[in-house]
Amino acid sequence: MDLIAPTSREEVRAALRDASARRAPLALVGGRIHEAKGNPSEVDRALSLTSLDRIVAFDPAEMLAVVEGGMRIGALRERLADDGQEWPVDAPDEATVGGVVATAPSSPRRLRFGPLRDSVVEVELVTGDGRRVRSGARTVKSVQGYDVHRLATGSLGTLAAIVQVAVKVRPLARSRRVVVASDGGIDAGRRLLDAVALPTAVVATPDRVEVGLEGWPEEIDEQTDEIRRVADVAVVREDGAAGGVEAIDAPVVVEAAVPPSKLDAILDGEPNYRALIGVGIAWVGLSDDGERLTTLRRRVAEAGGIAPVIRGPGGLGDAPVAALDVHRRLKAAFDPANILAPGRFWGGL
Amino acid sequence: MTKLEAARRELSAALGAEAVLVDPLALRLYARDASIVEGTAGLVAFPRSVDDMVACVRIAATHDLDVVPRGSGTGLTGASTPLGDALVVVTSKMDRIIEIRPEDRLAWVEPGLFNLDLGTALRGTGFTYMPDPSSQQVSSIGGNVGTNAGGPHCLAYGVTSAHVLAVDVVLSDGSVARLGAEGPEAAGYDLRGAVVGAEGTLGLVAAACVRLTPEPPSIRTMLLDFASVEDCAATVSAIIASGVVPAALEMMDRGIVRAVEAFAHAGYPTDAAAVLLVEVDGIEAAVHAEVRAVEEAARANGVGTIREAETPDERALLWKGRKSAFGAIAQIAPHYHLHDCVVPRTKLVEVLTGVYEICRRDDLTVTNVFHAGDGNLHPLLSFDRSVPGTLERVLAASDEIVRLCVDAGGSLTGEHGIGLEKRDFMPLVFTADDLAIQACVRGAFDPTGRMNPRKVLPDGARCGDFAVAAAGADDLGVVGADATIPEGTWI
Repeated sequence: MDLIAPTSREEVRAALRDASARRAPLALVGGRIHEAKGNPSEVDRALSLTSLDRIVAFDPAEMLAVVEGGMRIGALRERLADDGQEWPVDAPDEATVGGVVATAPSSPRRLRFGPLRDSVVEVELVTGDGRRVRSGARTVKSVQGYDVHRLATGSLGTLAAIVQVAVKVRPLARSRRVVVASDGGIDAGRRLLDAVALPTAVVATPDRVEVGLEGWPEEIDEQTDEIRRVADVAVVREDGAAGGVEAIDAPVVVEAAVPPSKLDAILDGEPNYRALIGVGIAWVGLSDDGERLTTLRRRVAEAGGIAPVIRGPGGLGDAPVAALDVHRRLKAAFDPANILAPGRFWGGL
Repeated sequence: MTKLEAARRELSAALGAEAVLVDPLALRLYARDASIVEGTAGLVAFPRSVDDMVACVRIAATHDLDVVPRGSGTGLTGASTPLGDALVVVTSKMDRIIEIRPEDRLAWVEPGLFNLDLGTALRGTGFTYMPDPSSQQVSSIGGNVGTNAGGPHCLAYGVTSAHVLAVDVVLSDGSVARLGAEGPEAAGYDLRGAVVGAEGTLGLVAAACVRLTPEPPSIRTMLLDFASVEDCAATVSAIIASGVVPAALEMMDRGIVRAVEAFAHAGYPTDAAAVLLVEVDGIEAAVHAEVRAVEEAARANGVGTIREAETPDERALLWKGRKSAFGAIAQIAPHYHLHDCVVPRTKLVEVLTGVYEICRRDDLTVTNVFHAGDGNLHPLLSFDRSVPGTLERVLAASDEIVRLCVDAGGSLTGEHGIGLEKRDFMPLVFTADDLAIQACVRGAFDPTGRMNPRKVLPDGARCGDFAVAAAGADDLGVVGADATIPEGTWI
């Protein structure tokens, strides 16, 4: 695959203008960590944004970081940690900020800190035809104009290149601990969710439940006691975090999203999963076998959810897309020549 | 038969005659919100169901009427002010809680439900709905969704958008789409996120699925007073720098404290230059530690007294003072003009000083009560419109205040929205291309241009192919009608 590697925003614009003029489709790429998410798209060129890797502005007093889209998550993590803060997305170090915003992966800590989309307050984009547009504001709250940044978040690179992002960051926890309960399953996870006051994560696997705790040492101790009252504790890992999707060993991983009460219905009999109790995300490890994927997707659809594959083949699935006409008009406005990973997104976009 | 009369007949047939108002008093009443902008309404309809709402949109389409959604009318920017012959769709009869599902941490509600009524209904479930705009006693969830409303507790918990999982929206073609999902992710672009805060210009919200948050086990509320505004603002920064993110961090200046105290009798110190209302919540042990951290930050910055609410009643009283601030300012002067800009926290003092200077120079009364933790200022100009030239001076000063905030790197609005009042300021913060893509977003949802037109985007913002119709500004603007401030008008 040919790789275009612009070193400035102007070069990104020129490359996209040129691709649009020639109707030559391409894939926007960053750290290529979340590339599996999306339907197959027939492109033979990639436009890499990794050279746009500067931190544009960061003042800890503002609890906001403005960074270029190609900045690596690891580099950002180190910079923020120098001032005692973090962006709690828990993506791999090699992922880029723009890639993470475009694919909107879930963190186990979503229970406490919410979805990634809530932390994105401003973006600067280059549209498929090379226009530079910005939306939002560099303040912790703003309702000026239409939130184009929300459309870009999770758009899988099909609307525009994300060249700059402002994200809300937060103080690093004073202390962290993971308490691993020795019983597994969704019910065990729910008991812990009910028993513990404010966990950052409750991750159930078939044979364990990991409870993530953060905060003042006193509150972590108090919540550890709450766990011990309802469960046998197998392991306590100081300064640890509950594991995410990376802890699943399987060639294919599905990220199912359902109302939290439906987790047991979709996971019944599954031998390899990590479920975010109270959130409704379940990462399910499958062998490279399409039949089990079909069965899982049927169950998820009955539960009113979606089940895109995020590792291995399988695409996004065939969940219905609401207001498809609106989607088509948006795609046509942002990417009039349809060059940005055509077909990768939901609804064949 | 005029198109209005034809539409009235069809609406009456579909919704019932009692659900459609055309008398001059009603049209006048629904021609404005809580801002100083007044418009004109053609028809007012009160749907009771999604089907009724669909009928409103279809009938309006048949007769080429604009559709203007309205909740409780507490909006502060003219976003629900109709212009021309518009059909005003009032959601106040759609005020049911459809279901509460603690097991899924969600509730489905109709748009006309008052924000506070949802909170009341949730008592005893262990969950709460976090966004708490000061108008929550009467502002509707649908209106909160339309403006992406904030409130004191959005500092720690995020604004309305973070608490809306899904919306059922009636689009301009009369179709109903569920945007977002009951689960944590939905298929497609985040159209939900675009609708929240779009001020009813993308479609009518017929139902909202809101996220419920576990009630914090422990809450402490403190009132701190300061001899200078600078010390108060420095304390805000010091608290944030200490790594504590309070649930709420609200600042009030002397003018507002005096007005509030006379009204709410909350025991606020009327001799202080500024007071800070700080709330921390969470697990008891953490809350205890955070109270200490807040006290340390305040002492290092010259705090006068620190008063902590000892009982739930005391806490309620402290909050009553804050949340009734805008009811209280009616004693200062009959009219008001309120701002909502957001500035970087580190620029709070600089901008505040600038606001005071502008108002002193122009001999205008300004008071300030705001979400200091968010940098969300609410300078409030009180005036008497009957004094010739006053309104013009207020608007000129307002213009300067907005520019001051923007120059400091701020946003035009943090939680009230753009509406009619701020739309012509949009080019201050966005380029022509930025505005064009926003017009595209609008056009993608509403190719007809009939959904609450002329709000949010300034004239001339167009999206190539979609050419969102932005009509002229001739019948728009501040109308000199009398508008005394209703007691309990909020931000």
